[in-house]
Amino acid sequence: MKKSNKISALVISTLLLFSAGCGIKALPSAEVNYLSAEDGTLTTRAIGIGKNKEEAIIDAEKNVFNVLFFRGLPASEQKIALVGTNETAEKEKNKEYFNKFYIDKRYKSFVISSNPKSDLTVHKGGKKSIAVEVKINLVALRKDLEQNNIIRKFGF
Amino acid sequence: MKNNILLFAILLLQTSLINNAFCQSSATNSGGQVATVQPKIIVIPYTKEGEDLRTVLENDENKRIAIAKIKEAFDSRGFTTVDFVAKLKAAKDNNVLTSENQSDIKSQIIQMSGADVYLQVEVIVEKGESGNSVKLILTAYEVSTGNSLSNKVCESGKFYTEDFIKLASKAVENCIEDFLNVMQTKFTDIVNNGKSVIIDISFDAGSAHKMSSEMGVDALPLSDQIEMWMEKNAFKNNYHIQGTTDLKMIFDDVKIPLKDQATGNNYNPNKFALELFKFLKGLGLQPGKDIKGSTIYITIK
Repeated sequence: MKKSNKISALVISTLLLFSAGCGIKALPSAEVNYLSAEDGTLTTRAIGIGKNKEEAIIDAEKNVFNVLFFRGLPASEQKIALVGTNETAEKEKNKEYFNKFYIDKRYKSFVISSNPKSDLTVHKGGKKSIAVEVKINLVALRKDLEQNNIIRKFGF
Repeated sequence: MKNNILLFAILLLQTSLINNAFCQSSATNSGGQVATVQPKIIVIPYTKEGEDLRTVLENDENKRIAIAKIKEAFDSRGFTTVDFVAKLKAAKDNNVLTSENQSDIKSQIIQMSGADVYLQVEVIVEKGESGNSVKLILTAYEVSTGNSLSNKVCESGKFYTEDFIKLASKAVENCIEDFLNVMQTKFTDIVNNGKSVIIDISFDAGSAHKMSSEMGVDALPLSDQIEMWMEKNAFKNNYHIQGTTDLKMIFDDVKIPLKDQATGNNYNPNKFALELFKFLKGLGLQPGKDIKGSTIYITIK
């Protein structure tokens, strides 16, 4: 009896270790909706997830850029992905730029405004989410990508 | 000994002559930098049959606004377009226009401007009880092949206003970026897969050759020799034959690279025509070549 308990404990702990080690990284959420566009700016409503309000807002802002770069935003003027649809390859190709952009928070310079539009909601498992209205300087963002040779300038 | 000195002097003179003839002048030397030749784009208004282009534009401020707004969008992307009105004026002043047919005049202006791409704008004004609106139909084509680059119907939305200039302007703003983004994806495709040229190969009236004439060491018909050459030389083996008769062979779409794959310099239809010219010479033929925009005409004597 004792032996079988030991075996089952070993099996459970091994499974737990495996599930922790091989956990699939969560893809960024695509919950970004187009609201309006005016004079080179783009206003969106995005959902962000985090441990607290600040973290959730940052996540929402990053989601907006992720969608613009690698998916395109339907109904907006940027329906086509700004950079390309294969985000893993694109991020790998321009590692330095994207590290600076996301990790060093360079993306903040393209955010004109970021206003929370809901209270922080607590979900099952303790995750908290928030809806944020994010306004982006799209013209400046495109220029920056062009200048850093991430995308090609208009023309050949 | 004297002969050797003379020979050396001649060689030295030849080298200096070659240097003078082919070396880049120091005034224009860019240190090996190559700027990609950009396509020329012209924005033109849509006209119905028989309408005079210039009066249409002069009398319709909505069209002028739409065109100006579109050109502004190109400018904001750092791209300069060819001015249609200036070209039209120059053509009329110089009496270049030869036809009374307005649609022919349009083609003549496009040809005269040297544009690679033309963007046609149709402005539709709609008046109604629930408000007025302006619709625009934007279409961009590659001049040489007629390939469509981008199409879009832009709408201002309905407003209770008689200010159609504002509505036309709003209609452009609503869709121009999307339109340019689609155009850019087509340009990227051209950069990656080459640009299209048309090749028209025919025979001079007094020529002793035909497409079925057997040529070369393997004595194959000329049309097959040409196709084999095209197979090797079209960029990424991408070409399309429109048709072959005994007197003519037309390739309606042959891809050529934008850059010389060996040197990195700009590549153009003229350089491709020269390669084909050399090949035909190698077969013992006497070809003549003419290049008009992106169409290569080869005439075998």
